[in-house]
Amino acid sequence: MDTAISIAGLVKTFGATPALDGLDLEVRTGEVHGFLGPNGAGKSTTIRVLLGLLRADAGVVRLFGGDPWADAVALHRRLAYVPGDVTLWPGITGGEAIDLLGRLQGGLDPARRAELLERFALDPRKRARTYSKGNRQKVALVAALASDAELYVLDEPTSGLDPLMEALFQDQVRRLRAQGRTVLLSSHILAEAEALCDRVSIIRHGRTVQSGSLAELRHLTRTTMTVETARPATGLAELPGVHDLRVDDGRVRFDVDSDALDAVVRRLGGFGVRALTSAPPTLEELFLRHYGEDLAADAAEDGPVRTSEAVR
Amino acid sequence: MMERARELTDGYSTAGAPALEGTGALLRFALRRERVRLVVWVAVGAGLVAAQATASQALYDSPEDLVAYRASVGSNAATIAFGGPPVGLDTVAGTVAFEISAFLLLVAALMALFTTGRLSRGDEEAGRTEQLRATRVGRHAPLLAAVLTAGLACAALVPAVGAAAAATGLPATGSFLLGASAGAVGLVFTGIAAVAAQVTGSTRATYGVVGAVFGVAFALRAVGDVEGTALVWASPLGWAQATHPWSDDRWAPLLLCLGAAAVLLALAVVLLDRRDLGAGLVAPRPGPAAASRALLSPLGLAFRLQRAALLGWTVGLVLLGGVYGALAGSVETLFADNPEARAFLPDAGSLVDAWFATTLATTALLAAGHAVSSVLRARGEEAAGRAEPVLATATGRAAWLGGHGTVALLGSAALLIASGAAAGAVRAAAGGAAEDVGRLLVAALAYLPAVWAVAGLAVALSGLLPRAAATLAWTAVTYVVAATLFASAMDWPAWADDLSPLGWTPTVPAEEWTLRPLAVLTAVAAGLVALGFGAFRRRDLATG
Repeated sequence: MDTAISIAGLVKTFGATPALDGLDLEVRTGEVHGFLGPNGAGKSTTIRVLLGLLRADAGVVRLFGGDPWADAVALHRRLAYVPGDVTLWPGITGGEAIDLLGRLQGGLDPARRAELLERFALDPRKRARTYSKGNRQKVALVAALASDAELYVLDEPTSGLDPLMEALFQDQVRRLRAQGRTVLLSSHILAEAEALCDRVSIIRHGRTVQSGSLAELRHLTRTTMTVETARPATGLAELPGVHDLRVDDGRVRFDVDSDALDAVVRRLGGFGVRALTSAPPTLEELFLRHYGEDLAADAAEDGPVRTSEAVR
Repeated sequence: MMERARELTDGYSTAGAPALEGTGALLRFALRRERVRLVVWVAVGAGLVAAQATASQALYDSPEDLVAYRASVGSNAATIAFGGPPVGLDTVAGTVAFEISAFLLLVAALMALFTTGRLSRGDEEAGRTEQLRATRVGRHAPLLAAVLTAGLACAALVPAVGAAAAATGLPATGSFLLGASAGAVGLVFTGIAAVAAQVTGSTRATYGVVGAVFGVAFALRAVGDVEGTALVWASPLGWAQATHPWSDDRWAPLLLCLGAAAVLLALAVVLLDRRDLGAGLVAPRPGPAAASRALLSPLGLAFRLQRAALLGWTVGLVLLGGVYGALAGSVETLFADNPEARAFLPDAGSLVDAWFATTLATTALLAAGHAVSSVLRARGEEAAGRAEPVLATATGRAAWLGGHGTVALLGSAALLIASGAAAGAVRAAAGGAAEDVGRLLVAALAYLPAVWAVAGLAVALSGLLPRAAATLAWTAVTYVVAATLFASAMDWPAWADDLSPLGWTPTVPAEEWTLRPLAVLTAVAAGLVALGFGAFRRRDLATG
């Protein structure tokens, strides 16, 4: 089996509001797959369907070649899951929750559990009531990462973690990939996906809008640069791949396509750079830039509502 | 360091710190959030009184009826234990107070508890208080707004109950006094809930503590009234009922309620100043770093989550059973003093059995209440999103729901057995026979199929209509309670009583065991549970 997850034409509506509207997703065995989309695009809904927690209205969903609704328990033995919004039992300690979720999933590696607790600096004796959002997330992460699964389904797992913990998390994902495990990583942060993923699927309004390797999507990413130079920086606007150039108060601001970065940086070197900031492209910007027309069209045809609103 | 600290505090006074800042705004907001609930609570209180007043005036419309009432209902230890002091029973209005005041006080206390608890500890637990306190809101303001909201609702009981009773034709003074007694008890329990919300670290624990206090207050009053002792004055419920509406019309005992409420509120504020936001008074101790084997299954998790509640219910029902067992002797004494009362019971020899049948039925109502809250815990877990991580493991839906269902069904059985055995044991020790223990234990089990049928309904509703399940299930419990307590007293039609599973249950030990209705009830319970499981496995998980 070289496909861990394959979804085609998935539709899910809550009442009258469509959350997923013909979504496609294919995750190959052994890859780290980024599942990207702005808040409310339908990422969590897709994952819940994939876990058999919600039933698909239409479309085909296959997990390890099986039907996640009918064979939920058997399929769950082969995966570990970190929910996007980790809620724990207030009176139960983090250590107990880890053991419980691990056991119900099929068993934990005690050595891995101890190692992860140490690395994530998580006190397992505290009751969940007293944990912060980030610590609750660590509980779910330790339970998932200490279990031996073929597929790891991680729904925005770093949203409550500090940068240090985020780096630790990225190490763990790389480790899983080195072991040949499959990871589905949902995120609304493009940089996180760039750091970890072999391939990504980008969804919006319940539909898949892009899918492929990051190299294939490179044309979509644009870096925003602000530069202060000793001599006036001229001729930048004429370079291919430079957009929206503005000059104010000796500073130059512009967006540059990722594949044109090298040429731009060389050119800048000649003007005596005093200060330079570069901001990686955000997913929101990417959407605005590439799907702005869709936005207008969606608004006109009264398109799908954000799922987070639809669910609540 | 100390130098700098002294510098900072020098010339800085905390006197007059605006700890109450924002109370008004929070109060308006709380009233807005709670408006539907509070109107329902007050309407239920007024409606209970109006219904009882209307029914009593139709039932006891001649002096002979009242004589008969005094000799039967008014001399029965069971009704005194539940109703309160049998005073003023020479007027119809007096019977209304006797029959309804206990329920009215319960409604007032529950309204006060849930309103105060939800708005104070509930908001704090959910993190809403933190967000508010970061604005220009004083430290005492959230608690005070919660207490004022509950207090206003209690105050609203006075005109609502008074007008409802007076509108049915009862004397106005007594009508408003009855309303005032309910409001006063509500204020006391507002104070108790405010204190409990400071001491405990969670809303659930707050409810548990206040529920236990109510149970103790009820038991003290019941024993005091049946035995005619001053013990009633140890209970706020006793104070409220010492007003004797429509007979002596005493207002003074209500001052005790007001005083107690004021003292409790002051205590709550003192405790609030001594604890951190979000914490209880007792710092949480670290728990185990690893789970015990007992926790590592859906059933183990369900039991762990419901352990504290089940323990509380067990202690409560064992104490209640003990009180019933102790009072059984008084039943005989009461009837010995009142020979004509015997004429109203078919078999003079089974007076004690009749007492136990009545009290076991009420124990069964409480067990049904536990069973429903236990089943709904599963629904609560699902709504809070805590079912999701478990169901994403290799745990099937049936196993997960089965864990909570098992705790509900076996837990309610354990409650009935423990309460029956406690009644029997105390009865045996106080003048009964040794076999009373086993006899009453078995008798209690006769009510189990009915309790399971109610629990089964809650399972079915959780599967079929998850978002409406709690409301519908508690409505059903309310109906069963009303049918059990009022169906015969208010001459309900037979079908209305038959809608309640307790209506089918033989009133053991006064009646013989009859297996057929019990088998049918068990089958109904099993069918409802199966329906609920089937529906749960076919539907989406419903969070929020």
